[in-house]
Amino acid sequence: MILSLVILYVVTLVYLSITERFRHYATLMTYQGWLLLLIALLRLHSIHWFDLLFVVTETLIFKAIVVPMMLRRIIKHNKINREHPAGRSQFGSLMLSIVALVASACITYLVADDTINQAFFCVSLYALLSGLILIVTRRRLFAHLVGFLVIENGVFLFSMAMGVEMPILINMAILLDIVMSILLLGMFLTKIGDRIKVDDTESLTSVKD
Amino acid sequence: MDLTMLYYILVAVVLAACTGLARSRRAVVGFASVFFVMQAVFAVWSVTAGAGVQSAQFFTFDATGTLFMVLMAIVSPFAFVHSFDYLRDNNIPEFRLYNMLMVLLCTAVAAVYFSNNIAVTWIFLEATTICAAGIIYHRRSPETLEATWKYIFVCSTGIAMAYLGVLTLSSAAIEGSLSYESLCEAVKQCNPLYVKIAFLLILAGYSCKMEIFPLYTIGVDANFAAPAPAASLISTVLVNAGFVAVLRIYRLMASSAVFEWVQNVLILAGIVSLVIGALFLRRTNNYKRFLSYSTVENMGIAAIGLGVGGVAAWAAVLHVAAHTLIKSSMFLQIGVVRSIYDGYRINRLGDYMQLNRVGAAGLILGALALLAFPPSPLFVSELMILREMMAEGQWWLIAVIFLLLCIVIYSIFSRVIKLCYHPNQSSTRPAPHATGLSWSAIVLLGGALVIGLTLPEWLKVWIDQIVNF
Repeated sequence: MILSLVILYVVTLVYLSITERFRHYATLMTYQGWLLLLIALLRLHSIHWFDLLFVVTETLIFKAIVVPMMLRRIIKHNKINREHPAGRSQFGSLMLSIVALVASACITYLVADDTINQAFFCVSLYALLSGLILIVTRRRLFAHLVGFLVIENGVFLFSMAMGVEMPILINMAILLDIVMSILLLGMFLTKIGDRIKVDDTESLTSVKD
Repeated sequence: MDLTMLYYILVAVVLAACTGLARSRRAVVGFASVFFVMQAVFAVWSVTAGAGVQSAQFFTFDATGTLFMVLMAIVSPFAFVHSFDYLRDNNIPEFRLYNMLMVLLCTAVAAVYFSNNIAVTWIFLEATTICAAGIIYHRRSPETLEATWKYIFVCSTGIAMAYLGVLTLSSAAIEGSLSYESLCEAVKQCNPLYVKIAFLLILAGYSCKMEIFPLYTIGVDANFAAPAPAASLISTVLVNAGFVAVLRIYRLMASSAVFEWVQNVLILAGIVSLVIGALFLRRTNNYKRFLSYSTVENMGIAAIGLGVGGVAAWAAVLHVAAHTLIKSSMFLQIGVVRSIYDGYRINRLGDYMQLNRVGAAGLILGALALLAFPPSPLFVSELMILREMMAEGQWWLIAVIFLLLCIVIYSIFSRVIKLCYHPNQSSTRPAPHATGLSWSAIVLLGGALVIGLTLPEWLKVWIDQIVNF
């Protein structure tokens, strides 16, 4: 069951790499939030009930509801719709994403360590690479923001692989979520859009040599 | 169990809150002063009574943390005093917010220095991002907003990557303990490829704090946007926090089968940082960015020192310690320059020798110290690194470093001479405290030169303890 959810999670990452509409980004982040919630419930059922409640509540409220809601608000507030037309083609993005997936699978195969859950490790690595690809190849700041959230979700997924033994690791991942995502999303919503009228990275070039 | 570290953090947070709520400038200064006195007392305690003590489970007053804590206790009051003059036109809310964040930044950095647990180090490094971001945004201009956005975004990405590395290492943890000591035992039995991935992720993540390749850019932007006295802390004590975090991972890796590979990665990161520092020192047209690229260059040298290992690792620690005093002095001097010209543009400022003789002398002496001319302690550290490379027959590396250092020497000296002697093309304004502030910055430089001349025994013993693991 967990494996099927993890595979679905991979599908959301592949779809993220080809879609250009920001509305779809927000929807995919919602799906990722719900998938992470289900994985947490199935994976962490043996930990202390209080820790489980904390993780589930955070995942539900924060990842499945608050983050997608804030993303939609940002789309509406800044009147942005889709990725810059001059950006990378969908086919190119798909190829890059598949290369990242294959690279992650190869690294996991080479590591082949029984101290880790290999499916979680592979998908987390793929999420990290997908996030970095989004940040590097997309031109709009909103896509960069989603790239960061993708990396964060990947980190959270991997923390669940070890969370059964060490719940503190999941709590730290949650700390990262709450502090940094709120800060970034909040700043985007309240400052960036209003003050510099930013919807692509070329507007953020006044601080340079 | 000793709880001194916990008390320190609690009292510091209370003082930060009092600073943030104070209603007058005098009260803000009062609360912040109490903090810096407490910090100095804490540093002295960690050297004497606290040496080697484990505190609040997650902290240990070891030589590594203590050396950098003492440096912070020396440098931060200077930054604090210079800030008063820098922020004299600010209103009370801005003034108290700035000081509150400075107090919190110093507290978070102290926790990073003394942390004996990989997870706790990560948590407090994350905390430094929030404090530093507030300081960077202090002027509330579009440029500072852009720099703050970039700082938070890149640091968050870096910190998330580092956390993935921490998680990867954690899977090897024995009995769930994330202390460096137990991880040191665990990595010995770990799959080498696995350890390599963890190290790459952690180094890439922490590079945003240590200001080396690949995420060095963000430190440069942060120093550019932050007020100069705050930049003197961000470019030294915060960079040292990144260095300490990397040093602890480096020590962890020393017991693993991949240590040689780790050293090669550090050499590569150091060389690329040195190349970037050398090239951008020529290119930039802003004195604060110029000093920031010098930090990238110097931390690159420190990374090379760690990579070479042996005596060079010893020299790397000395290099970072000396760099703290010299670079903070330089940033404070540049803050004084700004109080006279109201800007940092390299191609417009000049005649500084006429306008502030003491400040100009401080800048020239600081540049010489930064360029490792004797009796600068950087001369000792760089010489030791090069000697170790010669002993190991790494001639190609020596040739590359020599070439890059020649570019650095030319760039730094030509820029400082330009500021001091070339005709001025910028407007000036009266700065009644400039001479006094310049003298105070020279005190830090003097401290570095005394260390370079004498290389005291206690410092040698300290660094021996840090590198002999």
